[in-house]
Amino acid sequence: MNASDSRLDDLRRAIRESDPQLSRFDPLPRIICLDDFDRGMCGWTQLVGNYEDTLDAMLPGYAQHSHAMLSTLPNWDFGSHGGVDGSYALKIATRPRKGAQNVAIKRLTFRKAGPIRLEAYFTFKPEATELALSETDIRSFGFLYDLQIGDTSGPGDRVMPHLRFLNAQDGQHIQKWQFKRRTTPIKPIGTAGKTITHYHLAPDDWEDLPGGEQRLCYNEIPTKVNWHYLRFDFDLAAMQATRFQVNDRVFAMDGYDCIRIPAMKNLWCMLNLAFFAETDTDKRAFAYLDSVCLSGDF
Amino acid sequence: MLPENLTAVVARNESWTGTSATEPYEAGWAKEAIVFVRALKQPKGPLPKARIEISADGMHWCHEGSEFELPSAKDAVTFQRLSHFGNFLRVAATLPDGAEITVLVTFHLKA
Repeated sequence: MNASDSRLDDLRRAIRESDPQLSRFDPLPRIICLDDFDRGMCGWTQLVGNYEDTLDAMLPGYAQHSHAMLSTLPNWDFGSHGGVDGSYALKIATRPRKGAQNVAIKRLTFRKAGPIRLEAYFTFKPEATELALSETDIRSFGFLYDLQIGDTSGPGDRVMPHLRFLNAQDGQHIQKWQFKRRTTPIKPIGTAGKTITHYHLAPDDWEDLPGGEQRLCYNEIPTKVNWHYLRFDFDLAAMQATRFQVNDRVFAMDGYDCIRIPAMKNLWCMLNLAFFAETDTDKRAFAYLDSVCLSGDF
Repeated sequence: MLPENLTAVVARNESWTGTSATEPYEAGWAKEAIVFVRALKQPKGPLPKARIEISADGMHWCHEGSEFELPSAKDAVTFQRLSHFGNFLRVAATLPDGAEITVLVTFHLKA
């Protein structure tokens, strides 16, 4: 970094650190979006599956998805919990069926294939239908990118980095981060030959992130939550993850890789980001995002 | 900034039989809502009225008082206007034996 860049970096940092909303993030030079759900849905929507002619063609994994909501984290026993610094958070709720999942997604494209950084404040909790701690009722909370190279920058792939916190499985409290390299077989949809589908959040093929065990603050009854910080750095040029941090832990990413499938004819420069929740019991799982900051080095 | 305005698809291609309802939806930020129900397939059997339900916690539900017809033919649409509904909102219906409807239910919410 030369002296001019260094001064610019110092100035940028001083401005950001004087803004409480930005000061709790550590973004790269260009902020692509800073989504604070006190301002509304901020472009986050539901992940609908592909179909042609009939919605019956949608894979069941996608058919179960529903719309995220703006939530004050209301609880029957003490009322609204609120977010980190405002009333609202984005709530992703599954259906009350073991293994049910739900996803919220934001769809962008990128203008430079370089480093990007995803930061978020998140938490999760099961629906408080029992007066019990319920710490093993959520199977997982996670996030993903859905990326594809630019139309003239190939050859290359569609790349889908996934990470999930496997909280519990079949009642066992596991608490570790996992990643995925495989999706389900690609299946044509309809007869026009234009649409395909695959379910990248299928329960199979998750692999343990080396050293990815982490005990998160869950609190002591089924309604109290604590917010966690998450940061995931990814290089769109190399299509590789470079750093992953949750709260005070930074995880080595040497053993990490992404789902990689052939580039598709209508997804160039795609930059989608998504968060998801999965329940391990016949009880709704709730994942909450207080805020999300996506930044890039360009 | 313009007030928040959201179209939320709360049930898509779901077949309702017996006692059925949309998933709990939090809309406490909204002052008003219109609920649309569209039949995606030809309904079967006698259709009851749908009812609006509200809840303090998303787990214990009360009949809000509003009732409206379910659409009686494929692609027919019915709706219900709502205001002052607190936070949790859902649409429910109790279908008699032999009745079935495949629905698209959307909430149109405004702050």
